[in-house]
Amino acid sequence: MNQATASLEPRLSWEDVLDAASRREGERSFLSRLVLYICQQHGLQAAALYSKVEGGYDRLVSAGSEAFPTSLGADEELEYGSVLLPEGLLLYKAGNTGRSDLEGPLILALSSALRAAVLQGRLKQQSFAINYRGVELEALYDVGLAIASMLNLDQLGEEILLRAVSLLDARRGALYLRAGDRYVLDHTFGGDARQELPYEDPQIAALLDGKLPADQDLLAGARHLMGLPIGADGRPQGLLIVADKESRHGVGPFPMADRRSLSLFANQAAIALETAYLHQQALEKERLERELDLAADIQRRLLPTVFPRMDGFEVTGWSRPARHVGGDYYDFLRVRDGRVAAVLADVSGKGLPAALMVSTVHSALRLLIDQADVGPELIRRLNHHIAESSAPNKFITLLVAELDPHRAEMRFVNAGHNPALLVGPDGEVKELESGGLPLGLFDSSTYRMGRLDLGEGDLVCIYSDGITESASRLDEEFGVGRLVDLLRTTRDKPLSEIVSAVDAAVTGFEDGLNQGDDQTLVLIRRTA
Amino acid sequence: MTEMLKVTVDRRPPLAVIYTEGYINNQGGEEIARVAYDLIEGDHTTLLLNLKGTKIVNSIGISILIEIIEKMLEIDGRLAFCNLTPTIEKTFHIMGLAQYAQIFADEEVAVGELTV
Repeated sequence: MNQATASLEPRLSWEDVLDAASRREGERSFLSRLVLYICQQHGLQAAALYSKVEGGYDRLVSAGSEAFPTSLGADEELEYGSVLLPEGLLLYKAGNTGRSDLEGPLILALSSALRAAVLQGRLKQQSFAINYRGVELEALYDVGLAIASMLNLDQLGEEILLRAVSLLDARRGALYLRAGDRYVLDHTFGGDARQELPYEDPQIAALLDGKLPADQDLLAGARHLMGLPIGADGRPQGLLIVADKESRHGVGPFPMADRRSLSLFANQAAIALETAYLHQQALEKERLERELDLAADIQRRLLPTVFPRMDGFEVTGWSRPARHVGGDYYDFLRVRDGRVAAVLADVSGKGLPAALMVSTVHSALRLLIDQADVGPELIRRLNHHIAESSAPNKFITLLVAELDPHRAEMRFVNAGHNPALLVGPDGEVKELESGGLPLGLFDSSTYRMGRLDLGEGDLVCIYSDGITESASRLDEEFGVGRLVDLLRTTRDKPLSEIVSAVDAAVTGFEDGLNQGDDQTLVLIRRTA
Repeated sequence: MTEMLKVTVDRRPPLAVIYTEGYINNQGGEEIARVAYDLIEGDHTTLLLNLKGTKIVNSIGISILIEIIEKMLEIDGRLAFCNLTPTIEKTFHIMGLAQYAQIFADEEVAVGELTV
């Protein structure tokens, strides 16, 4: 057996060939055996069967050790013997004893088998296309339902991009989401993409118009781009770009049908993105609410839970923030020789920034009051600290009053706060003004101290402007006058009842309207 | 730079497990086919494709996988898949791959079934 015939093993009978046709091995196996059988019957060294394709022929099967080309041009000159078939071509290399021209029933059988294989291939292609259309529809359905239930914006972005790339047989892709006047890269697949794209840009406009943009760096290295806006109700939320349509022979442009598919896909994606975005916003709001609840709890702990008892005085305090947390603060601090300092502060603004400054005042005052008596020096130091640690446009009004049980005296400094009210046993009311500028405005501010001898039954009311400036439905202010009247009529009642009366009066005055500002009250009464 | 598929193989004759990582597209599919045909030449008659590292497959990749399935049928071998994402599993069912290749939830179950 020579080398050429050795590569034509195994020796086949016609039954072996027919057996391949009847088994499930497929048409390629049958054709392979038939070509080998022809070689053996016609004494050929080698042969290869080609099927007709656009512009030439592709090799299907071969027998023998000859390296036949995998594809041939339609008009290519051949160095082998050939038999032209209706659906292809048989190339062969004749053996020493073989015939150089082939014909007869085996060639007829080969021609028929090739035709059957070609038809079967076309049927498979059509079946594949129909099935893949099912995949496309399923993907659109999924984007509409399954993806719409995916509320994680990051996962959703990746899912949308992967589905679009897969669905359109793209090699590359990128998803941009709109942020103001630009598109920001959300996800990329298959290679690098520009991090940002301007919203109003001729290159982007050309791309969305179905034209190839001149800027080839949009997706680095991509040759064929297709892009569509993702938007709901005419509001563009993003940009979906795919690149380089794949085939078995390489990459090329996307046909118009793909643009329609991508458009359908982008519409579904827009709804899914909008849902996920709203969900994310709701989660963020919920997180902020939790943080604010925590901050409110922390702030509540800054306020006294019990009020100090001291000879000759009784004191109380009350505060109601307008939001979760507030910018009002009050405290009672025990200082030297049994004295007590009552303090009420009001930070400009409301909410979290004001609450943070309340913490600053609380800490600083507690530290400084151990180092200096209540008076101008204490407030000067406090002002210095606040001016250094707060934003330029923030300030704090504060009134601190020191009660001395041994001398029935109240010494106080007012740093830009509303004057405290002194209500005498006879109902006479006097405003207590003494002090200087609010804390935090100027580092060099100076302060004056006021002194007041208190008699039995004298009531001092320190309040924040959230009480006097609370508004009615007629846009009228509660005012100092109503507060004074209320204090006059309740001045003999227990302090807790006076607080309740103020609370009820202000709440009634607001008549269900949102509280405009934090409301705080400190009451001091000389009892003996 | 494009997303190239990485393929690794664990040979446990007659079974071989092919692990993929990345996009099963034209290039990725061809790489799987090259590895699969080498294994078939090396007398591995049962191939398990573990797609744990693959999130995405396109129609070209699927057509190549179908060719590998056909090749396995020609040699009376078996091809199976495991660790498919729900999307890929659904695609394989629609495209008919599941009629000729078993799909398993994970590798342990697949190996247990394929080596019986």
